[in-house]
Amino acid sequence: MTTVAPPASTSLAVAAQARDVVKTYGQGEAAVRALDGADVAIDSGRLTAIMGPSGSGKSTLVHALAGLDTIDSGRVLIGDTELTALSERERTLLRRERLGFVFQAFNLIPSLTAAENIALPLTLAGKRPDRAWLAELVEMLGLGNRLDHRPAELSGGQQQRVAVGRALIARPDLVFADEPTGNLDSRHGAALLGFLRDATRTLGHTIVMVTHDPVAASYADRVVFLADGRIVDELSAPTPETVLARMARLDAPASAIGA
Amino acid sequence: MWRLAVKNAVAHRSRLTLTWLAVALGVAFVAGSLVLTDTSSRLLDAQFRTAAAGVDLTVRAAAAFGSAMGVEVERDPLPAHLAERVAGTPGVGQARAVASGPGQLQVRGEPVRPNGPTIVGTWAEAPFTAYELRTGRAPDGGDEVVLDAATAAAHDIAIGDTVTVSATVSRRLEVVGLTGVGEDDGLSDSAVVMVDLGTAQALLDLGTGVTSVDVIAAPDVAVAELRSDLAQALGQEYAVTSGQDAAEASAEAAKESISYLRVVLLALAAAGLLVGAFLIANTFGIVLSQRSRELALLRAAGATGRQVFASVLAEALLIGITGAAGGTAAGVGAAYGLRGLAQRTGLALPDGPLTVTSRTVLVALVAGALVTLLAALGPARRAARVAPVEAMRLAEPARPRPRRRRLITGWVLLALGVAQLGAAAYLRDIAGVALGAVLLFLGLVALGPVLAPRLANAVGRPLDGLGVPGRLARESTVRNPRRTAATAMALALGLALISFVSVLGGSVKAISAGQQEALTADLLIQSAGDEMLGGLSPEVAARVAELPEVGATSSIRYGHWLDGGMTSALTAVDPATLPQVADVEMTAGDLGDLEEGGAVLAEDIAIERGLRVGDQLAMTLPRHGEQQVRIVGVMADESAQALSSGYILSLTTYAQHFNEDVDASVFVALADGVDAEAGRTALETAVSDFPNAEVLDQTHAVAARAATVDQALGLITLLLGFAVVIALLGITNTLALSIVERTREIGLLRAVGMTRRQLRSMIRAEAVLVAVVAVVAGVAVGLGLAAATLVGLSKDELLPIRIPVGQLLAVVGIAVLAGLAAGLLPARRAARLDVLTAIATR
Repeated sequence: MTTVAPPASTSLAVAAQARDVVKTYGQGEAAVRALDGADVAIDSGRLTAIMGPSGSGKSTLVHALAGLDTIDSGRVLIGDTELTALSERERTLLRRERLGFVFQAFNLIPSLTAAENIALPLTLAGKRPDRAWLAELVEMLGLGNRLDHRPAELSGGQQQRVAVGRALIARPDLVFADEPTGNLDSRHGAALLGFLRDATRTLGHTIVMVTHDPVAASYADRVVFLADGRIVDELSAPTPETVLARMARLDAPASAIGA
Repeated sequence: MWRLAVKNAVAHRSRLTLTWLAVALGVAFVAGSLVLTDTSSRLLDAQFRTAAAGVDLTVRAAAAFGSAMGVEVERDPLPAHLAERVAGTPGVGQARAVASGPGQLQVRGEPVRPNGPTIVGTWAEAPFTAYELRTGRAPDGGDEVVLDAATAAAHDIAIGDTVTVSATVSRRLEVVGLTGVGEDDGLSDSAVVMVDLGTAQALLDLGTGVTSVDVIAAPDVAVAELRSDLAQALGQEYAVTSGQDAAEASAEAAKESISYLRVVLLALAAAGLLVGAFLIANTFGIVLSQRSRELALLRAAGATGRQVFASVLAEALLIGITGAAGGTAAGVGAAYGLRGLAQRTGLALPDGPLTVTSRTVLVALVAGALVTLLAALGPARRAARVAPVEAMRLAEPARPRPRRRRLITGWVLLALGVAQLGAAAYLRDIAGVALGAVLLFLGLVALGPVLAPRLANAVGRPLDGLGVPGRLARESTVRNPRRTAATAMALALGLALISFVSVLGGSVKAISAGQQEALTADLLIQSAGDEMLGGLSPEVAARVAELPEVGATSSIRYGHWLDGGMTSALTAVDPATLPQVADVEMTAGDLGDLEEGGAVLAEDIAIERGLRVGDQLAMTLPRHGEQQVRIVGVMADESAQALSSGYILSLTTYAQHFNEDVDASVFVALADGVDAEAGRTALETAVSDFPNAEVLDQTHAVAARAATVDQALGLITLLLGFAVVIALLGITNTLALSIVERTREIGLLRAVGMTRRQLRSMIRAEAVLVAVVAVVAGVAVGLGLAAATLVGLSKDELLPIRIPVGQLLAVVGIAVLAGLAAGLLPARRAARLDVLTAIATR
């Protein structure tokens, strides 16, 4: 097993990086260059938001960083593990041991209870969750009395919080969240974002969040802007207003709504 | 709507392929059965017609009935002068005396055993026969014979070789010619042995008698007129039939045995179609629920529920008809396979080109289309109820819960079925058992969605040992009650039938073993030819009786009689010698009284018919028609079972009423102090020139009977195997479809770290779980029904219920492994899903 870097909340070590990544979908005339020399480093212990108009390559970049997708050229590293050198099985195990995921919807296995869904990455690896850590997570996510319920019996907000719990249970090096608040109303969305920020600030986790919502992005420590498959801009300590202003400057359709 | 249906079917062709295959397989079975039996009938007709070509009328002795249970009755021999009398009748052109009958052929000490009969006949030249010499010359004199060219070729016999021909008498004859019929080199499944009249009479021990007189009408004489003239001239004693009628009667007798085969095959084909129906219903259910948003969109766009319903049924019809067409084509090929299988298990089916009638095509097409339509009815009704608003809903539609009415109906049917089975078994009412089985089956179908998930949950517990994949496999099996139920039910049905048949088979073997216990004979001689009435020359018994190693012998013969309109069997024994070779227990009267005529009945029959010693029983016997037979005794059931029938006559009475002169079995008690092995060798030597005489000890006789049972059951089990294959296709199909449905779930699992191997094992575990559910349900139902059937068939004493544990374990093992195999393809497909696409699927 590769070495697991200790969560470094104080130093600005690099948790993951993409170096000159190119990814093309389709062939010939229909070819789309989703990533065209994307270059980004994700700082450890911080919440990084990735923004960009539709088709800018946000999701592709996150998928490449998470080892869910292969790339045509360039390098992707999680810590100091070169993803491109790993086999499919090794990438699966890496996801299980070192990465966490929160998706926009359909985050949970319908037939498992909330507690079982949270423990899933560990049980898939044949391990048991650390009881104290599980209790702490449940406490923080406010899921105390919902643990035995199945996803269908949970509200959308509760479902997403279970998903966050699942993403954090294995104490991953890095958590990827793809539009985690996309299906939530603003109140539940704010609670979830607050929790993600707390996870980085107080627990020292590293989170990468894809979003198109300036308010969501404002919870991040840093926002990275993507256009045409390249990093075109970035912003530290964002507010909804500064994010909106940068978005408007981007050389892309202004109506960048919807994923 | 029809265009939409076609487009839908084409668009979902990969999802519907296995459904199509299920329809095609079921229909192939139906078509194959019909083609095979039609072909056999036609070939038999053609054979007997060609063999009788040229003869206008045939004169034989009159008989009360021509054939019974597929065996032609042997008629009285005709006096030699009858041929002259016939020839002298005005209108007759030519007349010829014929002697023919069953016999055996031996080449270089090896018996020739065709699947069908060996016919000893009288050689004739055209116009009396269609047989033509291929090579050599006609037989002339007491030591010459002509064989059919096909038999000669199969056994490497050339002109100039010597063969042994035995009927009642055995003779060594020189082959002087080879013959054929029309284009064929012989009759299929038969050996034809032609000698001259004198030799035939000698072989059949007819003296100067003949078996029939063939007549050709004089030119310009109408055959129908001649027939009535001749009948009038000869009197009541003789029957005049047209040559073609006689051929037809022979063909009918031969075809009667095939009609049983047709019933068995079609019943099995129906089972296959029923299993297929479950699969079809399931596929349509899944595909439609996956399409429910699309259907809702249609509804929102203005399609009425009726139109949706019609479009689904149209799609089903399309699949049904094309599947049935494919199945019919495959069925023609399957007929060859079926024929091979049936022939291997000892059924005499003629070889020849296949007959495909328009009726076969029609029946197969209608069966396929109808089954598909009926199976799609439920899913189509559910589809028509999809509300237009579903189109706007993002979430998956809620799964339908089993409705209350259905639950109540199910439990009521199940309870009625079990009660009916119990009561019918207790009352020994076999028809009631069948009714109970149907009720039970309907109850189980209705309750499947409730019972199957519970069963899956219970038997799936060990899967948790596999970790999350096993756990998830169990969950998803339980999560789709209707789907799990239909998939498992199809397989369970096949397995229930197989375990039913194997328990019945085991018990039948136990019964036949038990029957032998009444016999005290050291050895018995039987015909290896499996003729229904036996086929031993009386010479065998005569020779054995003279051996110094033998203490006592007793022969038995079988015959058929008409009981009202029904054909029944009887056994003829020698009352003087039978007690020396068997423990005969009489409950009334005396066996010895049989010598004076009359009949002894088995106890259960005497009770059933309310007959006592001294009463009369009307029996129609072949030679003299209806007789009033006096009951002289009643025999214990076990003793009667050892003699294979409940109606016992003496051999003397038998000889008065039957012309058959063959023993079914010869029971032999060895003389004191003779070693069994030595006795056996002596017997074998003494009867060595009767190729069909088989010397068996009790153990071997039991084994031989068991082997016959095994062969018949083997064929049935093998054919039931096809139904199981269809059911396994169902598992594959259902899983493959549910993977399409669970794409996102699978993507999520893969994203959070489920390896491909874990994913594969999850899908395979699901398949195995469904198979295990089916095995548990199927075997339990099969065993229960078999027990009820056996008890229902019992008289006073319970029939033994033998559960062939080893055999059942093998069935269980194979079914579970097959379930695993059924999961391989879907598992591979699931593992190949690209994680990204799976996640992205909305």
